[in-house]
Amino acid sequence: MSSIIEIKNCTFQYPEAEQTALSGLSLEIERGSFVAVLGHNGSGKSTLAKLMNGLLIPTEGQVLVNGLDTANEANILNVRRTVGMVFQNPDNQIVANVVEDDVAFAPENLGVPSEEIRVRVDEALKAVGMYEFRMHAPHLLSGGQKQRVAIAGVIAMQPDCIVLDEPTAMLDPAGRAEIISTAHRLCREKGITVVLITHHMNECVDADRLIVMSDGHLVADGKPETVFSQVELLRQERLTTPETTALLYALNQKGWNLPLEALRTEECAQVIASALPENLPDVPLQTKAEEDRAESATALEIRGLSHCYSVGTPFEKVAVENINLTLGTSQIIGLIGHTGSGKSTLIQHLNGLLKPTEGSILLDGQDIHASKALLRQARFRVGLVFQYPEYQLFEETVFRDIAFGPKNMGLSETEIDERVREAARFTGVTEDLFERSPLELSGGQKRRVAIAGVIAMRPDVLVLDEPTAGLDPQGCASILENIMEYHRQTKATVLIVTHSMEDISRIADRLVVMNRSHMVMEGVPDEIFAHAPELEEMGLAVPESARLAARLRELGLPLPENIYTTERLLECILTLKGGAAQ
Amino acid sequence: MIRDITLGQYFPGNTIAHRLDPRSKLIVVLLFIVALFLAKSYVSYGLMTAVVIACVAISRIKLKTVLRNLKPLILIFVITAFVNLFYTEGDVLVQFWVFKITMQGVIRACQMLLRISLLITGTFLLTYTTSPLALTDGMESLLSPLKKIHLPVHELAMMMSIALRFIPTLVEETDKIMSAQKARGANFDTGKFTEKAKALLPLLVPLFVSASRRADELAVAMECRCYHGGEGRTRMKVLTLHTRDGVVLLLGVVLLAGMIVLRSFGL
Repeated sequence: MSSIIEIKNCTFQYPEAEQTALSGLSLEIERGSFVAVLGHNGSGKSTLAKLMNGLLIPTEGQVLVNGLDTANEANILNVRRTVGMVFQNPDNQIVANVVEDDVAFAPENLGVPSEEIRVRVDEALKAVGMYEFRMHAPHLLSGGQKQRVAIAGVIAMQPDCIVLDEPTAMLDPAGRAEIISTAHRLCREKGITVVLITHHMNECVDADRLIVMSDGHLVADGKPETVFSQVELLRQERLTTPETTALLYALNQKGWNLPLEALRTEECAQVIASALPENLPDVPLQTKAEEDRAESATALEIRGLSHCYSVGTPFEKVAVENINLTLGTSQIIGLIGHTGSGKSTLIQHLNGLLKPTEGSILLDGQDIHASKALLRQARFRVGLVFQYPEYQLFEETVFRDIAFGPKNMGLSETEIDERVREAARFTGVTEDLFERSPLELSGGQKRRVAIAGVIAMRPDVLVLDEPTAGLDPQGCASILENIMEYHRQTKATVLIVTHSMEDISRIADRLVVMNRSHMVMEGVPDEIFAHAPELEEMGLAVPESARLAARLRELGLPLPENIYTTERLLECILTLKGGAAQ
Repeated sequence: MIRDITLGQYFPGNTIAHRLDPRSKLIVVLLFIVALFLAKSYVSYGLMTAVVIACVAISRIKLKTVLRNLKPLILIFVITAFVNLFYTEGDVLVQFWVFKITMQGVIRACQMLLRISLLITGTFLLTYTTSPLALTDGMESLLSPLKKIHLPVHELAMMMSIALRFIPTLVEETDKIMSAQKARGANFDTGKFTEKAKALLPLLVPLFVSASRRADELAVAMECRCYHGGEGRTRMKVLTLHTRDGVVLLLGVVLLAGMIVLRSFGL
């Protein structure tokens, strides 16, 4: 028997849904393979995952795990033991408040003898590299570590297969890399079949097989190289391709003839380098730096800011230290740093939620903590959108939730009405949603409503903490576009905190990099990305195009050092080719 | 910051008090509480105080930690002292306006304060040296005879340990939602009582929604890890009684017996 999971002509419909989530889907998962499943939100990929261990039973068709029918109640424990499942939010999967006790949970349920549980727990923790943390409390671990504990908790059942349902959606780049490499190691070293469900293209690159889903169907299935080569098909399914493929595809559009299968950075660089003649002319270095440096008036100034939590207790911790930063009017600023670098603490000072331990925040040259009135003013003039803002929605209707901020400002009814409508327009919340309960909207819609709730205060400075976290690529792009629209029309200063350098580098005028409570870099993207190796050392993911450009330079291509978007890289490569032809 | 509150004050350590079986600790604390309520003379209070001080020393708890633990109870101390000081009949020491302080009142107030402090410190020793999980395990084990009368002992213990696990997560979440609503101009600090209660709505609604979402997801995750109730469940850490547990239990019984004897002699 070479297939561990067989899905035979399955259809699934949720009880109150009008449409089927999966329709007539057939799929076999080969034992010991690493299978990635890609698809946008609502494509049915999570439903597919839940069919694999009997959490859902198909409306029509059959699912066999090791030959056992999941629809048969008597098989269910065996099925669950064979196919372990890890979900998106590590916090909601951890049962115990000591790491090793949590990992012991599944074998305890299975009635494994005590001594053997001990052995299994230690083995599982070692397999995910969390053995040293076995006595820690889970809530004090990082997201990536928590998720590895969740994986260990499943490994302790000694499953033949693990299904990871968007395990990296809530993690930062470092945590993401931890999880993906752990999954690969388990597959390689322990022979565990891995099914990885994700919407991050780059996580699929090293899989044995890639499946693309859309509207409950399989639209592509094969080796990642082959699947990603079908660029038109993927775009049609509103999915993006890895930057390497996108670049090769764009070059082919210009009449080159490159193999799209060169997916990994190294391969892609080799392919491009070999397609170019030797002795290339230098590409003139285009520096946007000078023109962008145009002085703008100061919107907000951070002076010598330090913040220390729990002063005077054993838990005392310096979160940010001596930050000096000026935010210019109508600038877009990207704030980058790994988890725990102090970004969230910093931004909570900007509207006075936190009071500096040292230093001050100046809005229009006045210290916001100078008086109660000024502080109250800062609350509204500096709009702060927290991470996962959809969790703050509470009102009975969407309209009233968006109106919460303006109402607290003490505005008149007509003014409130106008602002709510305006904010809704900016964020793409249609008026037919106004009377709906915000709690029954989809995840993406909730996020829009929450952002509208802050925009409705018409802040001069809009600060957003990870506004695109957990969204699929399409959702990310549209939220960023909404924010840009607000910026363009109101000339507001926008500060975006993000892990995704890819997105931010396209739109930001300036980037600020934080590392270990300090501000370590500040400048236009060109300047920042010239320090790519240092950024990677800090655990920040440098855009793929920057890595590719760096590799091409190593291969002898005279590319400038400030490339960080695919468009610019493409342009430079074309210039090289053009120059050589002359 | 709300996040600074430490709930379940367990501090890992390796003293004999930490190593004791949670069941014996639970029983001894019960014996201690009964013994404490039997105390009524200087001798018996002195004895109980000595026992608590010895236990604090054995568990290597800093005096500062013990005092900090008593600090939130200041209001209760004040009220107790006030009631006992002014409302005990006896030989009048001082009298002004409608108040009078009696000798007996002073003694009784001191005794009550000592009693509350000893009670809190004694139970604090239990939570200080026992992880919440060990505590629920101990309770589950002690209460297991009640399964015979169909009391869902395992389920109750499971609920308790999950509640303990999620307290820090929910405290953090409360903090986050509070900040988010403050950023939209919500005011949690000032205003009249009714206004304050109303202001809690933007906090409580999201918190309940999120807690129920978490509960749903946790239930599914538990199911995926083959949880199907207490039946046929084994434990990685099996509770075992050692000689030291026997000794401690015996000491607990001796303490209680001693207090009964002292009381029968009117001490």
